[in-house]
Amino acid sequence: MRRSYWFLPALVVLLMGATGSAQAQSFKTESGHAAFTSSVPLHTFTGLSDHLVGRIDLGEATVDFFLDLTTLDTGIGKRDKDMRETLETDRFPFAEFFGTLEGFDLASSAAQPVRVRGAFKLHGVSREVEIEETLQRTDSGLKVDAAWSVNLEDYDIVPPRLLIVKVDEVQQVRIEALLPPENR
Amino acid sequence: MLLLRNLTVPALALCLSAGAVAQMPRDRADPGGPVDEVFWAPTVILTSSVTNLPQGNLNVTILHAFGIATDGVETLFGLDGSANIRFGIDYGVFDRLSVGIGRSRFDKLYDARFKANLLRQTKDDRIPVEVALKGDVGITTLANGFAFADRLSYFASLLVARKVTDRLSLQVSPMVSHFNTVFIERGAGDEILEEENDHIAVGLAGRFVLSRRVAILAEYLPVLGNRSDGTADVFSVGLDLETGGHVFQLFFTSSQWLTEQHALACNADDFFAGDFRFGFNVNRVFSLGR
Repeated sequence: MRRSYWFLPALVVLLMGATGSAQAQSFKTESGHAAFTSSVPLHTFTGLSDHLVGRIDLGEATVDFFLDLTTLDTGIGKRDKDMRETLETDRFPFAEFFGTLEGFDLASSAAQPVRVRGAFKLHGVSREVEIEETLQRTDSGLKVDAAWSVNLEDYDIVPPRLLIVKVDEVQQVRIEALLPPENR
Repeated sequence: MLLLRNLTVPALALCLSAGAVAQMPRDRADPGGPVDEVFWAPTVILTSSVTNLPQGNLNVTILHAFGIATDGVETLFGLDGSANIRFGIDYGVFDRLSVGIGRSRFDKLYDARFKANLLRQTKDDRIPVEVALKGDVGITTLANGFAFADRLSYFASLLVARKVTDRLSLQVSPMVSHFNTVFIERGAGDEILEEENDHIAVGLAGRFVLSRRVAILAEYLPVLGNRSDGTADVFSVGLDLETGGHVFQLFFTSSQWLTEQHALACNADDFFAGDFRFGFNVNRVFSLGR
């Protein structure tokens, strides 16, 4: 029996075309802004980083963010080192999220509330989370603004103590980033 | 036909994998960056360590050395004796440069100092050691009628250290001190005691981390060549107790002098002859950067 393979090159071309159109809807940054706010009695402090790496692929409807935790700066070097030891950044250097995006209309340039669902991983522990965030298409790319709470104990992190005062186990996390269109 | 089949399957796999949902590779921001604190505090015990203050950090220090501990219970092991105390502040102007001032009780001494990191040890061992330059100028304000220049003393040191492991750090620090004015005096046995203007030493220091909050420290300052009569090399041993914003240092040392030029040139007590004293140093770091 004679087999015909004429469709295979066509399939390859079609697949490449489909992939190409998805890539055109991909946005990525390596300099997003991440912050956490931590509380002890009578005092709060904030850790900041401008090394947030993120990609949003609208074709795949995926959201992928990660942060090298050693880049967080609380303003006091000694406290930074204490934080790195608490988070065991030598073993678990990243906080990361990978999930799916729902409810974003690319045609609109207004800031839109959207929902992402996926796995947030910290200190080697991965938990399913759902985060409400704001997403906006601008001429420069996609603008992301999200805030949520992280309970350290959910991630097997023992809150550190400053002298005898224990740091609150609930940390407020916020990310802000502008993701330019990605050239892959 | 076979060729076509061989080409088609990998091409399909390539296209499908390119379109597949994939996470970005998790790359470290600065994998070869500087190691974490070679020492926990900017001082080992009495001498400077290579560790510097980050930019915008203010370190407030209270350094205290009591009387001879082996004097026994009558003086509560030296706590009743005359104590020297130095209050100081240091500020990180840049990540690699700090400046500071202090005031010591003995000689009513004010001193100004700086420390500049020339090299930072890196995690990938591209730079295997941390190197810093330390300088200090002291001025005594005793009411003795001396001219300004006669009151001055100086200290300079090149600090070379390596964090050998996460627990062990070692430091070698060639150092020199200079006093503009020195004295020739009669000792208790009527002998002539002559002071030298200059002293050269090679400081040796180490830290061993016992736990996340506790480390053991030691330093030895052997003077090389000429030295003032009646003086002895400084030896100190102590503990670092670290919290998130404080480092408490508890130690025994032979020297009651708290600036390095004075410790080199003026210390008369020999640790190994039992002439050591209890002391402590409190380091409290504040952020003025934001």
